Amino acid sequence: MRAKKRKDLIIIVMFLLPAIVIFACFIAYPVGDTIFLSFRKWKGIYGASREWVGISNFTKVLADKDFWKSLLNSFYFMIGGFVILMPLSFGLALIITSKIKGAKLMKTAYFMPVMLGTTAVALMWVYILNPSYGAVNEILRFVGLDKVTKDWLSTPTLNIWCVILVNEWMFAGYNMLIFAAGLVSIPGDLYEAAQLDGCTGWKKIRYISIPLSKESFKIFSILCVTGCLKAFDIVWAMTKGGPNRSSEMPATLLYNEAFTYKNFGKSSAIGVILLVLGIVLSLGMNQIFRRKE
Amino acid sequence: MTKRKAGKFFIYLFAIFWTIMTLFPLFITFLCSVKDNSGITLGMFKWPEVFRWSNYADAIEKAGILRAVVNSMFVSLISTVFIIVIGMFAGYVLARKKFRFRGIVYSIFLIGVMVPVHCTIIPISGMATAVNGKNSFWFLILVYIAFNLSQAIFLFSGYLQGIDKELDEAAIIDGCNDFQLLTKILFPVSAPIISTEAILAFVYGYSELIFAMILMTDASKYTVSRAMLTFQGGYNVNLGPIFACIIITIVPMVVLYIAFHEKVQDGMLTGAVKG
Repeated sequence: MRAKKRKDLIIIVMFLLPAIVIFACFIAYPVGDTIFLSFRKWKGIYGASREWVGISNFTKVLADKDFWKSLLNSFYFMIGGFVILMPLSFGLALIITSKIKGAKLMKTAYFMPVMLGTTAVALMWVYILNPSYGAVNEILRFVGLDKVTKDWLSTPTLNIWCVILVNEWMFAGYNMLIFAAGLVSIPGDLYEAAQLDGCTGWKKIRYISIPLSKESFKIFSILCVTGCLKAFDIVWAMTKGGPNRSSEMPATLLYNEAFTYKNFGKSSAIGVILLVLGIVLSLGMNQIFRRKE
Repeated sequence: MTKRKAGKFFIYLFAIFWTIMTLFPLFITFLCSVKDNSGITLGMFKWPEVFRWSNYADAIEKAGILRAVVNSMFVSLISTVFIIVIGMFAGYVLARKKFRFRGIVYSIFLIGVMVPVHCTIIPISGMATAVNGKNSFWFLILVYIAFNLSQAIFLFSGYLQGIDKELDEAAIIDGCNDFQLLTKILFPVSAPIISTEAILAFVYGYSELIFAMILMTDASKYTVSRAMLTFQGGYNVNLGPIFACIIITIVPMVVLYIAFHEKVQDGMLTGAVKG
């Protein structure tokens, strides 16, 4: 018996070891190092001394209006998620689960953008939004709205919303699947019963589809809230956080502080704040929704 | 009845609208990929007078985009394989074995899912310098494995917990040890969840940007996302080949997607719901 137990222990250790080692090297150690660095001043020269500066990196970050601006921008991401992306993907989910012709084909098409890769999507839209020859301005000129044409990605506030909309264009199909999965699990006789009671069209959606999709809305909310802090690729590929840091997100700010301005200490402080916010948000979201059940 | 018709009309209208919205950027990008600069600046919508397929030759020869596609494929394929193998081994232990630190190991990987990648970029960049890992595909692959492993372990251990233990017992009676049980029996049984994770990991690796940007500085080792970023900025550039590059990088994904679209949709959904 003892021999078997020992053999079991060896198996456990051997099987877990690769995962633990990779985790320790590439997640645990870097996170620890980021926390370590966040209390120090370092200009990023390999081997140079890292001077202890207490919490001054954190006070610097919290006093930096660019940091608050970046938080505001990620707040916009979240607002955009709930106000535009949520109804849009729910609507698309209703379409692909309804009995209209070509629903399956549409499902395939709607989901495609997410497969293309963020940089390719971003680059495509950067050209489409180009002020001189971009398709968006071309359409606006064509319908006589010359006044509305803009340099979309260079106008502050407008540019972050352009990025948000492109992001939503990309993920609408993805979130559609989440809602569709919920919708197909609603039993069909519920709708039939409702129909007998004189409930049709919009009312069916209002009183059956939406309330019974609670689970999907929950998943969407968790993804949306935790995702808005993490957005980097799409912002970086479209605006690099500029011009004049107007479309900066926390993650691009962190990158710029480190690799553009060489303030590794300050950048690490942003990293620590992001880490704490990220964990608090995902635990918090889980807590909120679990309590409701 | 007329109200119902109106509703249906509205559904169709919106369905068609979004179909156009989805396909239109791809279509325009394709159109531009076969035009020259003056054709593009005249208007992105205009049908090209001559189809300049030579843009594609330029994209491959001058911009070396095919190389980036191959690099990306290599990195994402290898990392996917490792994520699955390492993840299955760890997932098996967490699902089937009882041991003292099980709870701790489990919560460690739970934290792993929540850590934002961005707060690790400075130390990882420093590590790469220290071990000569800059411009090394293997270092990049290890990083990709690390950031997908936690999720993989969760998916796998969750799935294995749902498999009847009688299967294990039967195999053990037949003389299988843990290793054989896992590789010969549980791997095939877990095919659905493995393909889910494979899709997630592959898509991640193919278009990942931030680590590719920090770790790869040698243009011949660029992955697709990194390679595409070099296009921005210059003014006197030939635009046509840039659009050709975009098309070339998305073709593998589109083909993959169309071939396995149901599997891909299922996989991404599982990843979202359980991740």
